[in-house]
Amino acid sequence: MIFLKFDRRIFHYFDWLLLAFVLTICAIGVLNIYSTGFSASEGQIPLYLKQIQWIAIGLIFMMIIFFIDYRVIVQYAYVIYGISIALLVLVFIFGYASHGSQRWLGGGFFAFQPSELMKIVIIITLARYFDDHKSSESYKLKELLWPLLIVAVPFVLILKQPDLGTALMLMIIFISIVFFIGVDRKSLIIAITSALIFIPIGWSFLKDYQRERLITFLDPENDPLGAGYHIIQSMIAIGSGEIFGKGFLSGSQTQLKFLPEQQTDFVFSVFAEEWGFIGALILIILFMVVILWGLKIALQARDLLGTITAFGVTAFISWEVFINIGMVLGILPVVGIPLPLFSYGGSAMLSLMAAIGLLMNVSARRFILQR
Amino acid sequence: MEKKYDQLKGQEPAEFRPKIKIVALLFLIAVSVLLMRLGYLEIIKGTEFKKKSENNSIRFRQIRSLRGLIMDRNGVVLVDNRPSFDVLYVPTKNKGNELSVEKLKELYRGKSLEFSYDQSIPKDAKLYLPIKLDKNVNMEKVALVETNALNLPGVYIDVSPIRLYLDGEMLAPVIGYTGEISEEDIEKSDDKYAYGDVLGKHGLEKYFDDYIRGRSGAELVEVNVHGKEIRNLGVNKPVSGYNMVLTIDADLQKAAWQAMEGKAGSAVVLDTRDGSVLAMVSSPSFDPNLFNNGISNEQWNELQNNPFAPLSNKAISGLYPPGSTYKLIVAAAALEEGVITPDTKVLCRGSFTLGNRTYRCWNKHGHGYVDLHRAIVESCDVYFYTVGKMLGVDTIARYAKLFGLGEPAGIDLPGEKSGLVPTKEWKLKRKKQAWQMGETISVSIGQGFDLVTPLQLANAYSAFANGGTLWRPYLVKYIESADGKIYKEFLPEKKGELRLSPKTVEVLNSALWGVVNEPGGTGHAASLPGIDVGGKTGTSQVLGLPADEKARRRKILGAFQKDHALFACFAPVKKPEIAVAVILENAGGGGAVAAPVARKILSAYFEGKKKDRHPRTVAQNLQMDKLDKLNN
Repeated sequence: MIFLKFDRRIFHYFDWLLLAFVLTICAIGVLNIYSTGFSASEGQIPLYLKQIQWIAIGLIFMMIIFFIDYRVIVQYAYVIYGISIALLVLVFIFGYASHGSQRWLGGGFFAFQPSELMKIVIIITLARYFDDHKSSESYKLKELLWPLLIVAVPFVLILKQPDLGTALMLMIIFISIVFFIGVDRKSLIIAITSALIFIPIGWSFLKDYQRERLITFLDPENDPLGAGYHIIQSMIAIGSGEIFGKGFLSGSQTQLKFLPEQQTDFVFSVFAEEWGFIGALILIILFMVVILWGLKIALQARDLLGTITAFGVTAFISWEVFINIGMVLGILPVVGIPLPLFSYGGSAMLSLMAAIGLLMNVSARRFILQR
Repeated sequence: MEKKYDQLKGQEPAEFRPKIKIVALLFLIAVSVLLMRLGYLEIIKGTEFKKKSENNSIRFRQIRSLRGLIMDRNGVVLVDNRPSFDVLYVPTKNKGNELSVEKLKELYRGKSLEFSYDQSIPKDAKLYLPIKLDKNVNMEKVALVETNALNLPGVYIDVSPIRLYLDGEMLAPVIGYTGEISEEDIEKSDDKYAYGDVLGKHGLEKYFDDYIRGRSGAELVEVNVHGKEIRNLGVNKPVSGYNMVLTIDADLQKAAWQAMEGKAGSAVVLDTRDGSVLAMVSSPSFDPNLFNNGISNEQWNELQNNPFAPLSNKAISGLYPPGSTYKLIVAAAALEEGVITPDTKVLCRGSFTLGNRTYRCWNKHGHGYVDLHRAIVESCDVYFYTVGKMLGVDTIARYAKLFGLGEPAGIDLPGEKSGLVPTKEWKLKRKKQAWQMGETISVSIGQGFDLVTPLQLANAYSAFANGGTLWRPYLVKYIESADGKIYKEFLPEKKGELRLSPKTVEVLNSALWGVVNEPGGTGHAASLPGIDVGGKTGTSQVLGLPADEKARRRKILGAFQKDHALFACFAPVKKPEIAVAVILENAGGGGAVAAPVARKILSAYFEGKKKDRHPRTVAQNLQMDKLDKLNN
């Protein structure tokens, strides 16, 4: 097996700079979460400490993934995929609900959401599929049916939880990868047409609150209370930060709890309120660097597998960043997508650390030639 | 396996170079869109938003929906809504506001009014989260707060609708009551409810909550630093609940309630023609208005610990041995199974011996030779011991189940009990013991393991009276929208058929008539001039109660445990319209105590029929209309 032939050169090529950027984002995130919990007075472990624990566990996870050659990992992609689907089914049967949707497995500290992990699993599974089915021409619709099925199964399972944000994320990852490897123009037209037919059908599957959110996005005036309230509060928080921010622990929107979901979906609003335009700009630049770095890794990968994997991971992170920030800025609908590395959340942190691990993996092995 | 990776066919990573460049470009465009938006919000609009966040600003206010009205079958409003005024304090960053509470306390004291919020405002009170200082206050207090509003920054009067139970305790165990949702229920409800929602907690209010609750609305208001509303940013109007029209006849209900007043027990009046419930009394009762704004602990404990269980609806959850009212079923079984004819005679010497045990007849001197008719009229126990022994417990049980006993009658209320019809199999399963013949003897006069609810008893007699149709009893005729359009109608529902032979029916009808109208009949106290009433008395021994419960009741009653008094009847015998079951706890003999109550109810029903009914009008939320005017 390849991973037994341990190659010391991978230390040499270890991407310290990427790790530094990632940890910087995580650290700012912890400070930010600390701020949201500042006015809370509960007897539990503060969220920022929990987040630190998750980052630590995530780093271990990342290192494990880094050490196993990505070609080996991808070789087991279908097995991992099968296990993940099984976990999603388990969630369906045994999982417990929180905030009206059933997406958790286990309990206490070990509660986790298999749906978060699914995002990474989808990337490596698709990488494996497209590597197995190389083609010098663009892919036709017929050739894309299998990959579509690979995504459709977890998509439906997650949509049923219901977790619209994560389900859509899977679709977006899929579409990004397919576009990237190239798709036949005729197939594209057919795909778009069938998507237009699918939308009304999909609409009927949505829960009332999910529909409300989409309607609210299309027409915010329609509902200034429900989800519109969240957006209004978020925009007030961000806007009132002005250029230099209100200062650490001093965001009134945050501290007075006008801002909803502060530790998760609206974490960026907290940061922008307290650190202003300058702070937010720096944070966005940090994300930008990580993402461009990821694209560079995809470009320099030594084989197709590495390229697809690195690209998939980068696409996943960049979409989440874009959708989350766009959402809190009021230019995208409120769908539950956290800000990568920054929002509170154990499962999300693990899947992101795994993602970074994969990037480093591809990056470090680009010079190591396999016979 | 490793080789595979070297045989790169098709695409090479290098081919992706231009694509990745495009992706990077797209990404940079996306980022600049975000940055532009960010700059717009934080730099261009910054000052404006800052002001908004300082004024602080936008608040969410729930608007309670109006619960549907509840009316009787003739449109008489039984449950309305009324405005309730609460005194609130809203903590703000404004220093010194918390003194308002002290000032208010002073004002109250000046008028020697009671101030219910006795602690001081906690230091860490959540900002902008209202604290209820005084609930459901009268007009005097409202006026006091309003006239001193300027001196009381942070103190407001909040108006919301609450239930008004016009008939108080008369129907309380049936209608139930409402209360604010508990945190536990919110967790369970999957986004269906919100904090502060009011929902039905008992009885019809609970069973039909989804229809009558309506949907609470909310408004978004901009407030100033004092918490005073400056601007309304949007309203989701609350949606009123559906109105509910009951099968209950308020006049008859009132008569039945008055007939039962001061007694513990239950009375049920059914329309034999469709199974609708005309009256349902459970006594003692409680004042449901107490629950409107949160009941005090003392009051709650008092209701909970009352040995007469005022909160429970005894008509559906009280379990009693049916006593001699059960004889109708045993007699029907005996005739149908052919173990006796109407002429079969049994000698009653006042007791019945089985093995070495003696079973007494209520008349210790004995009834002499009695046929079935006399046995029912005079309620001879020995006759039924003899017949019951011939039938066996399982045959009796089969007929009891035909009459709807041993399973919930299926009424539209939560918490209905199923009672108990014992069989040999049941005893083996539950008690792990074989059935004893002696137990059959007890069962044949409705004692022993037999248990029925007053509703089941009324329904069984109704089924017999109407020629054999066992209806599903129901309380709600229809549910309609506020403007009187019918939304959902409940129709009579057949549950089963007795299928007794006409001969059996004739013989038993005559006997039940005799109970009330013939000399020596035990139910003479229920006779009504001009109306043929048929019925059966029952006096059931209270053996089933656990020892500690008995002791507890004995202590409170100050007397030895008395028998339950029962009477079940229907009228007119020839063309029945109503069936009545009355059960009085620990009251004595059925004929002496329960039959007179039944008589009053029957009399009220037939008197009421003579009166003119007003045509039904669309009921209005009169009380709340006043509130609307008050608000505008």
